[in-house]
Amino acid sequence: MTVKEIFDAVLAFDEATVTGKTQAELDGGTDIDAILNDGLISAMDEVGERFSSGELFVPEMLMAAQAMKAGLAILKPHLSAGQSQSKGVVVIGTVKGDLHDIGKNLVSMMMEGAGFEVVDLGVDVESEAFVKTAAEKNAQVIALSALLTTTMPSMESTVKAVKEAGMATRTIIGGAPVTQAFADQIGADGYSADAPGAVKLVKELVA
Amino acid sequence: MMINRAIINFDKSILDQIHNRSLELLQDCGIRFPSEKALEVFRSKGFRANGQTVYFEEKAIIDALGTVPAQFTIKARNPEKSICIGGGDYMMAPGYGPPFIIETTGEKRDATLEDVHKFCKLVQTSKCLDFNSSIVVQPNDVPTETAHLDILLGTILLTDKPLMGSTSSEVAALDSLRLAEKIWGNTNDPVMISLVDSLSPLQYADESVESLMVYAKAGQPVVVHSACSLGTTGPITIAGSLVISNATTLAGICLSQLLNPGTPIVYGLGGSPTEMRTGGYVNASPEDAKHTAIVTALARYYGIPCRSQGALTESFCLDYQAGMESAMMMTTAALSGVDVSLHTCGTYGSMLAMSFEKFIADEDLCGSLKKLIKPVEFSEEAFAMDLIKELGTSGNYLMQNHTMKRCRTAFFEPVLSTRAIHIKWQQMELREMDKRAGKILADRLSSYEKPDIDPMLERDLVRYVEQRKGV
Ligand code: B1M
Repeated sequence: MTVKEIFDAVLAFDEATVTGKTQAELDGGTDIDAILNDGLISAMDEVGERFSSGELFVPEMLMAAQAMKAGLAILKPHLSAGQSQSKGVVVIGTVKGDLHDIGKNLVSMMMEGAGFEVVDLGVDVESEAFVKTAAEKNAQVIALSALLTTTMPSMESTVKAVKEAGMATRTIIGGAPVTQAFADQIGADGYSADAPGAVKLVKELVA
Repeated sequence: MMINRAIINFDKSILDQIHNRSLELLQDCGIRFPSEKALEVFRSKGFRANGQTVYFEEKAIIDALGTVPAQFTIKARNPEKSICIGGGDYMMAPGYGPPFIIETTGEKRDATLEDVHKFCKLVQTSKCLDFNSSIVVQPNDVPTETAHLDILLGTILLTDKPLMGSTSSEVAALDSLRLAEKIWGNTNDPVMISLVDSLSPLQYADESVESLMVYAKAGQPVVVHSACSLGTTGPITIAGSLVISNATTLAGICLSQLLNPGTPIVYGLGGSPTEMRTGGYVNASPEDAKHTAIVTALARYYGIPCRSQGALTESFCLDYQAGMESAMMMTTAALSGVDVSLHTCGTYGSMLAMSFEKFIADEDLCGSLKKLIKPVEFSEEAFAMDLIKELGTSGNYLMQNHTMKRCRTAFFEPVLSTRAIHIKWQQMELREMDKRAGKILADRLSSYEKPDIDPMLERDLVRYVEQRKGV
């Protein structure tokens, strides 16, 4: 048994094998860092690359992420504070007045897959809810999605509310009608046209 | 021999299965209505509800379907342009909802109220479009909360074809009715149609359902439409998608009939693939088209008119892809017997943008399809037996009266497509389709004439809009 088998099992979307092998490595005394980094996290990095290149389909990417998380859950009680399994906390939601959630869910799931702790507030989310949750969860990033030109102003008011609250939390925005120009105009910290781009953006912002 | 073409062979037993399984979902899972007003109606009629989820028994659905009219007429400001829906003709409206315009350069820009007005002029002068859209584009240069007023006013003044009412909120629906009242007075006759989308899976948004309620109470027709993104907000299989969307649409229809039995309804279901490499929404596909065919069969099964998507494409320019996808979507609808299509002219890129040039091109497609589905005439005169016998094997039909009389009307004449011989085509100043479309567009807009309207009525409409906007 090797950590490589955990890596392979994540890439095969095989949750049962991931959890089985993770437990076995743990019981066998393998270094936890190796299981975490060389097994689970590097597998998800590879999944991310294969997804971005078009090799993997969305459901496959999500199943791989789920398998990875199942492995992570086994390691969790054994992780020290320094081995935090989360890359950071992201609060995400579709803004006030907007009920479109397909894209937002995709972004949310991909961020989770990439190792972020994601707090998904759902749809039709008020500015205050973003601010309040981000403060409670000590989030590094607030991610806003909108699919209607008519609800894009809610993005502006949310970004403004975050600034007014004097928080260090960064804001990113996205959704079909949203553009980089709009992000610049409202003073958001980032924009991405798609879900993989949003993950990359968050990685850069929390680095 | 039986031809096994997947999209045309529907056994009644399959439709029964879709129906029965939909009833099963309505009874077991229910539909979520996050609107106290809607919940109150259901509760007052004795429906089982749990929180915002309402459960439907078979009888309620059958009773509701029993009161939906098989056909109805929507009055136009110009009575000659009133339309009958469900009477066998194929009624078409242009794009719906796109916030952007894509120019021939490929540039994308925000749509404006001026674009709305230009599209209205095109609808008015269109030979194939039968009614207006309530959001031909979403204008970005007017306040969101009152954009529906600007659009509707422009549409009423610039066209005299039937209108579509807004469903962006209950207030917008009420505004639409108030404006219609100025034209037709207080009437229960259908004078505008509107589109209510459900929120897949198995729910409605509060503003949609409350708009539905406003229109139903006023006896105004509503397109009740449900669609899921296959594999994302509904099952990846067409069978599963049909059941989940049919259940949702039936619940909306039921609410309309509880409020006002006999409210005219257009039944709508759709289903679009998820682009599995990105999670994107694909609007123009064989799977979408298959939904159209089956949904038309379901509407016939229920005895009510139906709606389908129109000339949709994922393309961003007037290329082979745009033509191919638009034609597949529209041809399937036309041949299946759809009563009403939205988005028939001008749409690009997954319904996110409109193009003036594509609008002109789609008119050729729509016009040719209207011709295609027109029944072939089999009269004595049309068989032309006497003439055939008279000319025998050596005849030239070009110089016959029979030909002469019909030479201007017998065939579909495209406005944009070329039928020139190669050398002429080579010599054409505007060889590319989008450039030719641009020329036609300019001519259409410059020759446009505003339809007559009573100046008092015009003032009244403008005043209402100004008051509502606080001008
Ligand atoms: C934080 O950082 C980030 C970064 C990247 C981010 C991000 C955040 N969020 C998204 N991204 C990015 O990553 C994702 C994947 O890579 C991408 O996400 P997307 O969300 O863009 O992509 C998804 C994966 C797939 N795409 C989608 O899911 C959207 C597809 C379209 C067809 C669409 C759908 C499906 C729906 N709709 Co709606 N809908 C349309 C859409 C047209 C279109 N092609 O976009 C659009 C957006 N809708 C529109 C309209 C008008 C409406 N819709 C409505 C309702 C619905 C449905 C319920 C039927 C359904 C939503 C189901 C759901 N659960 O979400 C209504 C509004 C409801 C409301 N209050 O929100 C209603 C008003 C219709 C009505 N009369 O009821 C139009 C918008 C017009 C405008 N003003 O902007 C529209 C362009 C379609 C049209 N032509 O009418 C990127 O944008």
